[in-house]
Amino acid sequence: MTKLVTLTIDGMQVSVPEGTLVVDAAKKIGIEIPVFCYHPKMEPVGMCRMCLVEIGRPVIDRSTGQPVLEDDGSPKIQFSPNLETACTTPVGAGMVVLGATEKARSGREDIIEFLLTSHPLDCPICDKGGECPLQNLTIKYGSGQSRYLYDEKKHFVKHVSLGELIFLDRERCIQCGRCVRFQSEIVDDPVIGFFHRGRALEIVTYSNPGFDSYFSGNTTDICPVGALTTADFRFGARPWELNKAASICNHCPVGCNLTMNVRREAASGGDWVVKRVMPRQNESVNEIWVCDKGRFGYHFAASSSNDQTSFKRLSQPLVRKNAGSDHPGELVPASWDEALSVVSERFAEAGDGLLALAGGRLANEDLFNLKQLTTTLGGEAVLYTHMAGGELTTQLGIQPGSDIGTMGQGDAILVVACDLMEEAPIWWLRVKQAAERGSQLIILNSRSTKLDQAAAFVLRYPFGAETSAVLAMLNALSEKRLRLPEAVQVLERDPTLQAAAEVFSGANNALIMYGSDCIGLTESQALAQACANLLDATGHVGRPNNGLLGVWPRANDQGAWELGFQTQTKLEDALGAAAALYIVAADPAGDDPTYLGQSGFGGKAFVVVQDLYLTQTARLADVVLPAQSWIERDGSFTSGERRAQRFYPVIPPRTAPVSRAESPSTNKAPLLIAGDEVMESPLPDFAITAMITLRIDSEARITASSAARVFNQMAETVPAFSDQTYLELAQVHEQWPIVGRDDLYYGGTSYENTGGLGMQLALNTSDTPSTTRLAGTTVEFIRMPKLGQIAFPIARLYDRGKTLMPSQLLHERIGEPYIVLNVNDAEMLRIQDGDVVHMTVANREPDSPDRVTTGQTVVVQARLDQELPERVVLVPRSFGIPIDKPTPVEIRRTE
Amino acid sequence: MFAIELARGLYTTWREMFNKPVTIQYPDQRRPVYRRFKGRHSLHRYDNGLEKCIGCSLCAAACPADAIFVESAENTNAARFSPGERYASTYEINMLRCIYCGYCEDACPTEAIVLGDNYELSFTDRHDAIYTKEMLLEALPEGGSLTPQEVKPGVYTRSVPEMKDPVD
Amino acid sequence: MSKYPAGENNSYILLRQRAIPDLDNLDIYRQHGGFTVLEKAITSMKPDEVIEVVKGSGLRGRGGAGFPTGLKWSFIDKDNWPHYVVANADESEPGTFKDREIMEGNPYQFLEGIAICAYAIQSSAAYIYLRGEFWQISANLDRHIEALGVAGLLGDNLFGSDYSLHIYTHLGAGAYICGEETALLESMGGKLGQPRLRPPFPPSFGLFGKPTVVNNVETLTNVPPIVERGAEWYRTMGTEKSSGPKIFSLSGRVSRPGNYELPLGTTFRELIYEHGGGIPNGRSIKAIMAAGASSALIVANDEALDTPMDYESVPALGAQLGSASVIVIDDSISIPWLINKTTHFFKHESCGKCTPCREGTYWMMHLTDRIANANATQEDVALLHAVASQIRGKCLCALGEFSIEPVLSGIERFKADFDTAVSETNNN
Repeated sequence: MTKLVTLTIDGMQVSVPEGTLVVDAAKKIGIEIPVFCYHPKMEPVGMCRMCLVEIGRPVIDRSTGQPVLEDDGSPKIQFSPNLETACTTPVGAGMVVLGATEKARSGREDIIEFLLTSHPLDCPICDKGGECPLQNLTIKYGSGQSRYLYDEKKHFVKHVSLGELIFLDRERCIQCGRCVRFQSEIVDDPVIGFFHRGRALEIVTYSNPGFDSYFSGNTTDICPVGALTTADFRFGARPWELNKAASICNHCPVGCNLTMNVRREAASGGDWVVKRVMPRQNESVNEIWVCDKGRFGYHFAASSSNDQTSFKRLSQPLVRKNAGSDHPGELVPASWDEALSVVSERFAEAGDGLLALAGGRLANEDLFNLKQLTTTLGGEAVLYTHMAGGELTTQLGIQPGSDIGTMGQGDAILVVACDLMEEAPIWWLRVKQAAERGSQLIILNSRSTKLDQAAAFVLRYPFGAETSAVLAMLNALSEKRLRLPEAVQVLERDPTLQAAAEVFSGANNALIMYGSDCIGLTESQALAQACANLLDATGHVGRPNNGLLGVWPRANDQGAWELGFQTQTKLEDALGAAAALYIVAADPAGDDPTYLGQSGFGGKAFVVVQDLYLTQTARLADVVLPAQSWIERDGSFTSGERRAQRFYPVIPPRTAPVSRAESPSTNKAPLLIAGDEVMESPLPDFAITAMITLRIDSEARITASSAARVFNQMAETVPAFSDQTYLELAQVHEQWPIVGRDDLYYGGTSYENTGGLGMQLALNTSDTPSTTRLAGTTVEFIRMPKLGQIAFPIARLYDRGKTLMPSQLLHERIGEPYIVLNVNDAEMLRIQDGDVVHMTVANREPDSPDRVTTGQTVVVQARLDQELPERVVLVPRSFGIPIDKPTPVEIRRTE
Repeated sequence: MFAIELARGLYTTWREMFNKPVTIQYPDQRRPVYRRFKGRHSLHRYDNGLEKCIGCSLCAAACPADAIFVESAENTNAARFSPGERYASTYEINMLRCIYCGYCEDACPTEAIVLGDNYELSFTDRHDAIYTKEMLLEALPEGGSLTPQEVKPGVYTRSVPEMKDPVD
Repeated sequence: MSKYPAGENNSYILLRQRAIPDLDNLDIYRQHGGFTVLEKAITSMKPDEVIEVVKGSGLRGRGGAGFPTGLKWSFIDKDNWPHYVVANADESEPGTFKDREIMEGNPYQFLEGIAICAYAIQSSAAYIYLRGEFWQISANLDRHIEALGVAGLLGDNLFGSDYSLHIYTHLGAGAYICGEETALLESMGGKLGQPRLRPPFPPSFGLFGKPTVVNNVETLTNVPPIVERGAEWYRTMGTEKSSGPKIFSLSGRVSRPGNYELPLGTTFRELIYEHGGGIPNGRSIKAIMAAGASSALIVANDEALDTPMDYESVPALGAQLGSASVIVIDDSISIPWLINKTTHFFKHESCGKCTPCREGTYWMMHLTDRIANANATQEDVALLHAVASQIRGKCLCALGEFSIEPVLSGIERFKADFDTAVSETNNN
């Protein structure tokens, strides 16, 4: 129980925990003490001197140790002769703080005057205008006149590019240091810093490319002036011209809360356009931060059917006509009625032979309706992913009350086979901060990652030996030891492993986060099982902040697991064997040409593709159904921490291009003619699925009318969601620090959360989790071949996937496809760093259990790495290289 | 008695018959407007032809009738519309919403939007009432070039010019 | 009040190289009793005893702050290890050149002082932070340190005890602000040389976050004589509250500028006229800056000239003694010109961390530029005074606070000069 201290601020008494700063204590009772350099999430520095207040302390008699009293019995208060900074002063018992006196007020006016002396007259052209703490505090506390001569202002370079994402205007900078301190204190990656001194102090970047950090956009939120702005939103609109809507990021399983700002745009003919993405405060998920992928990678969802690029959205259903034995026919636009008739007829015929393949970017409601379809009709609901083990997270995973932000001294986090910075940057930040608060961070990986610097234990296992490594930890804690492959025996004998295992076992709370670094579907299933066994053996299940957490590749994979989706290890065979394929938000043919199979994609199956774009798979389909993107409708996602969160419509749904008639006006403004065509527009995924199902069985328990009704059905059917309603998910409570509203100067321009904080799912306690299935010797283990290399897939935050390539701004950071080779291997193959090479997926031995591959060849750039072991090649996912699990490859130099 | 009153009234009529008429025969005669008359808007230019408007949206913010719509974009030295970094790529005023109050003129930091003397505005179609930037931009001054202009770098760097307080 | 120089037989205590040639040769230094004090301290005194001696001597920091040295040593946090000693050789105050003479001519007494201090606070690593311009002195100190190592007077297990000490030099890169102790510690830690928040103070949180004693070169050079001859002996020199000898760096309009080792309490008159040879060229004295550029201008009347130079008496003149870098100004110097020089200096040296100093020194410089160049009005002079008053009491460290002293005192005490400057403007 922390001690409470009582003090008086501007005549009001307040009691706060010991160690609270005066400026925070004032904020708690609604008294404003203005600040620029102070930020509640960072250590105070007392640089800007804006928070100057008069502070008086009770006088204590040195000899007796008792407070000296005035004549009327009240304690004698001695005020310092000078003003003090409220942000650096912790509260003291009986302290008297005066912020409203003439002295304090004139102190603030003086500091504002100093800041404005060289501050440029940029408000009309500055993006921060309208949400600028300097503007707001100048109106409140500044004088109306300037005594400084314009010609004597200090001039700097304006519009400096700190990398292509962030612009710096050095004249506007007030040298508060928030950006520099954010990068060094919170992100622990000081790629920007101060240069020179005195009035010439300026921000520079030390990295190449400039400001090379996935969190760079956050500095534009906390910058109190328009010095740091994003290139994405440059001159986009004024803040007061924007509408806002709450949403959830659709890129990764963290589920960062977002606020999207929209405006109607003249350039696109009056369409509603997303102008920018800002973080929305949710202290249990993403605090007030969002990574640059979430901030700058929204364009795919906002793309329209008017796009001239390859990311043109589907606007109408397409049905294949005129297909014959010698030619494939073509896809022609059709009405919903026609398309749905064809689909429901063929699905009804297929019956049990229906295979529904879903991608993890779909909402809970979409996935639920898909599952309902297969339940009603028969058939399989398969999740399209390269990472398995999800059903274990529904049984031994995160439960309500969990929050990485509360983990600290005495807790442990084990991160295995995961490159957190690339797979889920905000989790990287949260785990790092948990380690800084005292949690023991244990990293088990085959290669170094950016999280190593924060870890207490860093353990390496040979490539391919991830499951054995986890079992080695289990062995270290058990009497009965499994026999493990030779390759991990060195690791087994490592005393660091023993120490790490003991720390993990003895921790109050322990989490295991597992990812898909260098592993594929089958490997991740085994890994998840091993992790589950370890958690069960050490008793770290069944309470908050304990359990298994999967760092999934997509935003709502967790939702798919909760709703009962399975994985299919032999997906190509399953696709070929099905009678009907219903592929939603997935593009297997585009990802890996081997899915085309020997007799074309899907063989003889009736193929229906439901997606945003005309993907490769869609081009081969029999019917293509256009879906709405997540920002055009509402729904909910389940984050990897098993938190269901609502998202709301941000822009009106894209409609099919409508007829425009010539206007009689001299201006030629087009007249919009409403007609039936308007109805032929993309629909939400859950609605399409429901309409298909209802045409097959009109009594089916499935609804197309609204996401809320689907959610209610889901809550009735699926135990994990049983306590939840849309109303529950929209509940908010006051969070600390206070952001948004009037006090932009305090927390920055992230948005206050009025959309909902979400709710964590109950654990599935009905099925007993299986923890006995793994024996050490049956663990799959990759043996390095005598010749050639094995390619291991790794994650890259910025990839060439269809959800990120529409964001032009990120193309430079994304780069071209590449692979990483060991230096000696490269030498043997006469390859130098940066050479273009051919990489071919090798054929496996005939008696190998895996399928025979078709020998895909890709042309990529080779990069060399000193630390990589021989024979290992790293291949980034979603770069057009069709490798999603450890695969033998042959590499040769391009002549 | 009644006749005397009648005569008085008729005398007034008789007298007025010979006074000059006060009717102004519009449209043949047009009365000049007062000095601060607020009529049709125009976006002014500098003498060299560059637009004064920097796309700051302060006029749109000040407008009590929400009649102004502004979108901004970046100037480059190869295609420069206004001095400084920013210019208005879209500028529309809905003349039917406008109440001719002049707040936009007061708010403008560069004296770009100015309400002029023309009051003869009528439309047959509501769409025609939306005046675009092309319609609002004033004619090129003598010696000026059309925008966009290609200019040397480093010359037109200041968005808000040095100005004196406005005098009547 | 003892006469100059302070010791018996008029001997030097600090600038002993003036009496003993080649004192920078270790053998010579040892012949004159060098390092016997260190040996005495290590072999026969406890660390706390050393601190008591220094406390009792009344030695005060010679870098300008005048904080009791022994008291500072006693604040060292004994629960946090290791401890460090840092000698502040970043002598950058305009008008101060005493430390360089010590390090050039009597380096071994300085090094011995560091060693005794290190022993007293139980530190085994000591650093000397030199301003970047002292690269030659730093190279020489490195040779001296090496010679000490060879002679077994520095290194492991000194004098057969289990106490070890290594001394290292570290060069700055040309920033006056790095003479401020916390900025110095930041600079040594490889970070930007900007002062930290205090509290915590260096004896609890110093170099690399560890308890550190930061002392001026001259302060440390006083330590060997004190430990050798005792606190009582030291108190026979100087005044009751400001004991011991002080090196006064005399410069400006005097016939014989230079360093003068005199007891604290010597009057300005004695220093300037007797030792400094008075004002040359038949001019008369106008003002005195007692603490280099960081001082308020003292009107050089009889009362001021007869004031003893110690930490208690000088404040009565509305100024501080500081590092006793006495700059003499005669009646040929225009005060606006003078404060233009000081504001240029402070604007150049401001670290930029806090708003009032960063913006205020820049603003004051522009104003003094105009005033000194006959381009200003009375309103500008009043504005300069207002800006300087606005800076007072709001800065993070002493640089900002002291930058206003010449400006405020100049305007208040030498109004005539400013009237002249303004009238020249009117004439233009």
